[in-house]
Amino acid sequence: MGEWVQGGAALLYWVGIVVAFRGLWLAFQAWLGAPGVDRSIRARGAAVSCSAGVLCVLVGSSVTRTWGLDLPVAWPVLPLPAWLAAGCLLVAVVALGRGLLSALPTERTPRLVSAAGWAGVGALCLVWAQQQNEPFKVLTGKIALTPGAAVAALAIAVVAILTMIAAARSASAHARSKTFVTHLALLAGCFVFGIPFVWLLLTSFKEDRDMASPEGIVWVPRVQQTVPFISDKNPYFEAVYNGQRVEANLEQRKADGTMILAVVRPVGLSGYTFEVEPGQAKQIPREVPLVDVTMDGQKVRGKVVEELEDGGRRVRAIEPAPFAGREQVFPADQVEPYRPVSLRWKNYTEALEFLPPETQFGLVYLRNTVFLVVMNVIGTLLSCALVAYAFARLKFPGKDALFNVLLATMMLPGAVTILPQFLIFKNLGWVNTLQPLWVPAFFAGAFNVFMLRQFFKQIPFELEDAAKIDGCSYLRTFWSVMVPQIKPALVVIAIWTFIGAWNNFMGPLIYVNTPELMPIAYAVQMFNGERFGEPGLLMAFVTMGMLPVLALFAFAQRYFIEGVALSGLGGR
Amino acid sequence: MLRTKLSLALLVALIPSLGLATERQVVTVWGLSAGPDAKGTEAVVREFERRNPDLKVRALRMGAGEMNPQKLMTSIVGGAPPDIINQDRFSLSDWASRGAFRPLDDLVERDRDTDPTTPTPDQYYEAAWKETQFEGKTYGIPTGADDRILYWNRTVFQESAAELRAAGLDPGRPPRTWSETLAYSRVLTKRDAQGNLVRAGFIPNFGNSWLYLFAFQNEASFMSADGRRCTLSSKEAEEALQFMVDGYKLLGGYDAAQKFSSGFLGNENDPFVIGKIAMKIDGDWILSTLSRYAPNLDFGVAPPPVPDDRYARQGRFAGVEPTFVTWIGGFSYAIPEGAKNVEGAWRFIKFATSLEARMIDNQAQAEWDRIRGREFVPRISAHIATNETMLKEFRPRNPNYRAALAMHVELASAGRIRPPSVVGQVLWDEHVKAIESACRLEASPADALRKGQAVVQRELDAHYRYETLPRFDFRGPVIGAAVVIVGLLGAFLLYVRRLNLGRLAREEAKWAFILVSPWLIGFLVFTAGPMVASLIFSFTQYNVLSEPRWVGVENYAALFTTERENLLKAFGNVFYLAGLGVPLGIVSSLGIALLLNTAVAGIKTYRTVFYLPSIVPVVAGAVLWGWVLTPDASKGLVNSAWMATVTQWLGVQPPGWLTVADWAKPALIVMGLWGAGGGMILWLAGLKGVPATLYEAANIDGANGNRQFWSITLPMLSPIVFFNVVTGFIGAIQEFDRVWVLRGGGGTAGPSDSLLVPVVHLFVNGFTYFKLGFASALAWLVFSVILGLTFLQFKIAPRWVHYEADK
Repeated sequence: MGEWVQGGAALLYWVGIVVAFRGLWLAFQAWLGAPGVDRSIRARGAAVSCSAGVLCVLVGSSVTRTWGLDLPVAWPVLPLPAWLAAGCLLVAVVALGRGLLSALPTERTPRLVSAAGWAGVGALCLVWAQQQNEPFKVLTGKIALTPGAAVAALAIAVVAILTMIAAARSASAHARSKTFVTHLALLAGCFVFGIPFVWLLLTSFKEDRDMASPEGIVWVPRVQQTVPFISDKNPYFEAVYNGQRVEANLEQRKADGTMILAVVRPVGLSGYTFEVEPGQAKQIPREVPLVDVTMDGQKVRGKVVEELEDGGRRVRAIEPAPFAGREQVFPADQVEPYRPVSLRWKNYTEALEFLPPETQFGLVYLRNTVFLVVMNVIGTLLSCALVAYAFARLKFPGKDALFNVLLATMMLPGAVTILPQFLIFKNLGWVNTLQPLWVPAFFAGAFNVFMLRQFFKQIPFELEDAAKIDGCSYLRTFWSVMVPQIKPALVVIAIWTFIGAWNNFMGPLIYVNTPELMPIAYAVQMFNGERFGEPGLLMAFVTMGMLPVLALFAFAQRYFIEGVALSGLGGR
Repeated sequence: MLRTKLSLALLVALIPSLGLATERQVVTVWGLSAGPDAKGTEAVVREFERRNPDLKVRALRMGAGEMNPQKLMTSIVGGAPPDIINQDRFSLSDWASRGAFRPLDDLVERDRDTDPTTPTPDQYYEAAWKETQFEGKTYGIPTGADDRILYWNRTVFQESAAELRAAGLDPGRPPRTWSETLAYSRVLTKRDAQGNLVRAGFIPNFGNSWLYLFAFQNEASFMSADGRRCTLSSKEAEEALQFMVDGYKLLGGYDAAQKFSSGFLGNENDPFVIGKIAMKIDGDWILSTLSRYAPNLDFGVAPPPVPDDRYARQGRFAGVEPTFVTWIGGFSYAIPEGAKNVEGAWRFIKFATSLEARMIDNQAQAEWDRIRGREFVPRISAHIATNETMLKEFRPRNPNYRAALAMHVELASAGRIRPPSVVGQVLWDEHVKAIESACRLEASPADALRKGQAVVQRELDAHYRYETLPRFDFRGPVIGAAVVIVGLLGAFLLYVRRLNLGRLAREEAKWAFILVSPWLIGFLVFTAGPMVASLIFSFTQYNVLSEPRWVGVENYAALFTTERENLLKAFGNVFYLAGLGVPLGIVSSLGIALLLNTAVAGIKTYRTVFYLPSIVPVVAGAVLWGWVLTPDASKGLVNSAWMATVTQWLGVQPPGWLTVADWAKPALIVMGLWGAGGGMILWLAGLKGVPATLYEAANIDGANGNRQFWSITLPMLSPIVFFNVVTGFIGAIQEFDRVWVLRGGGGTAGPSDSLLVPVVHLFVNGFTYFKLGFASALAWLVFSVILGLTFLQFKIAPRWVHYEADK
């Protein structure tokens, strides 16, 4: 029971704050307004509101024991039906109030009836909630008012009151205050909607060690700085493996001088070993980490020239000058890596290097996707426009019946036909090819036909007649007269088809079995399965996968937005 | 002239030889472990290619060999399978029974006398070989063998030595019996001030034990000896499941344990390495990870704890040998039916499973690890000679690893296998579901197992009944369809003739039909034809690999009887998603649109920010949100924010989102809200369409902003609300991509099937189990639900949707 009292007190506290604010607002109005009856009423209202508000706050905080320094918060934990009941009862109370207050009896009765109805539904919900056997609870806590938060709250209050004053002064200021509030709300919304993007981008630039931290998300990406260093103890080579330029560690040097190298980069080949003649591999500098250490009680920056078996690091100092060149071995915990704020672009190149070699660093995925998108767009535009033109402008027997069939197929979910379609494509020998993913586009989708038909219908008949008189064939009329008239609609359909083809996931999941044929959407899922432990690379790959769509939006924003209006909304 | 001819002839003669010289036949292998640390496999492949210059091996992972064989089955059925699949042995017989794999006996028979590397039964552990057999045929050649043992962290035990002693337990040894395990776990489990787990003593299903291990220990069998009856729900299995339930109870419940383990990382931060769990049951694969990332970890091994009676050899277990048993599994190479290069595949299998290749594998891996200063711990093989040689040549120096390896090899002989069965996969899936529902206390162990058994039994009956079903003659429907089409065409032509069109009209009609033909053909081939086919399939039992058999309305009956529970769940989930998600989406997108509609500066920028999330590719968005919603607050964006606010203020711990059943759907709804920008654009267009005169009139009448919204804006926008509701529900019923990406592995869709949606259920039945008959019936159910719902919405619409044109 105590928690309900606490929760109620917290509610009272907040009601008090709102009421007190209203009091202040009235007071300002009274102060600014002209003297008269109105003014005295306002002043009285202000006094009542303020004192009631302060009283509420005092009572609330005395019960919750949060004397001004903390803000009490409370949250009821209820099963779903109890929430429904609360909602119904609230509506019922409002209806009841309105019913009792309404002047006309003709208005009163239906309101009272609806209040009773809502109350009944609420009661039923309450009974249902009782049967759920889940506890009703109130959680209480407090928001600690740190000095920073207190200052911010105060500032907001001052700004709010100032805008209220300004708003009261003039109509244009009123508009300005409204704009201010709107911007505030929009910015808050943008923050919520944008933060996953920000997180995605930042994660794609972070080092692995920053992926998880007990203090919460790491928002500032830092990158270990390195310097090139040629080490004879641990040499690094550039060589050619399977026709590809690779960087490799020395694994073993044989007596006859041939070396066994282990690939380090590209990352996709990392770990593969191969033998080379001494002349075929060129020693190149290795990137070694920069670290901060303490030498003779002074902070020194140096490079790690050797990593010892026991985890120790041999560090060669670089700066300041007097220490330069000095070498010393430090245990691992005394070496502070030098990681200035920076972006790790390597995540992107490494993500691509990780892909199977036959995908040419993901270019094959891109090629497949682009191919599918292009074919789908061409197929859809061509077939849909032709069919829509015939349905809109030509007369032929059975037209209405066929058009009704077309409308009916719009209702059909894809789920019904995927299985038999799979069998069709299997019998055509098209499994593990891209055909099943683009050929159907050449056979006119119902929704697009329907939409384009509306557009063709709006074109005046005079144009067509003129073409006919000039002796144009139907195809010629279609191409030279009709198509130019519906270009905006075609662009919109092209964009929708683009996005649909780019995102198609179930299709490749069924039909594609080799990396050479994978489009990006499927590759992202495979990448997710195989590189789950490396969020940096995964997020880099995800970013690359969505970039083209976002780029399309940037270029064709107008059509995206207009497309909605063009579609006629109720079209479906 | 002659010279041209000659050179042409020469060229023609050269082409084949050129082809031979340059074109090597490719052997595609799925499911090989590849990557930087799989040196052994790489060495074997390279050696094979050196010895067989005409062959090239192409190793792909393709998610193959894992618990969900959708990709493999689709490729086999589609006639484009790989040449070899490295497949989990237990599922071999299941798919073999459907004709997915090629029996290897003829190849073994052919080569056994001429080629000493030919695999034969006597070279393998009996259990491992038995697992590849189905109805007397061999469908795979075993590669590895993995048995499960108990790993315990000595350091953790020592830290809690005093408490363990106080509880009457010996901190110097691990538990031997089930009740001891629970007692140790109770002491070793630690919580923080808020009651969150910081260490779990023993999570029953963490590592790799499942119910199978505990059930084998309790002498449960899962199938009758003839394989025709499922005995999942036995008293023995029930006790084993009860043990798991008790193990979770003392951790604070299954969800608490799942949330705790969602924060686990791998490698050097492995929960076992850093003491977040004190004991686990796992296979020998973890040894190489431990030796790499925590070479100095002080751990011990022991046989997995057994039922108390078994340890005491009393009651049911009086005289039962041996005391300790474990569960053994592993992979094997199999050749899918329809593989293009059987001979090449067989040559690779023979080589890769020979003693020599297995030693090349170990040698390469050992060398690789030696250079990196890691202790090499070989994996156990199903090949007896390999294990013997391996133990001699690659004995680990570190006594902990030596003991572990010895324990694994020793217990391998006491290993039990999952019974080879035509329903192995379903049995597995159902046993997972039973574990989940029992451990989440949704059902008693007995009920959970009984439910699973019923499902498996049904599958069994359906399989064995197949032969007795009447054949289904496809000619009937095909001829019927042809007659109908010809009839319709004829009637149409007659009708056209009766119309008596003029020359111009005929010309126009001709062109019209030419222009409409893409849609017409597409409609017949991709819509009408498939619909008819789907209707016919729905009355058959059909798995594509063998011919369909007629079962009548059984598939439809199944929808309402045996599958009722799944479907209620699937449609319940959908209505939950739509019922909560659609209104929330409408409210939030309308809210944004109203804010944007106030003609503030920068509207374009705002609009872009709000709209962008809705065009993010679904798969990319799902992957992104999978990470954003990671329950662990040190990684997950949402829970990190939650911890900083709600937990700070109210002390409420953040939810487990996609890892726990109650929060998986809310997680999907939150994801959906991110895409509210799509709806916003609709609203904006709609708001522009509301005539300003209406507002002017209202202003004159003295209606305030609130009143204007409810009386003008909303009614004028009601067609868009309607549109959103209809498309929202239809879209939700067809939900697939996000769930498929986020559902996690295995045969379930989210924790406790909490993300099971109709299309995923259809897809799994259609493209994983290839139960085309049932899947087609389900497709029709989905269709009729969508149709019914749309109809209903259109019926109700006139009551609240306001169409301007009606006035």
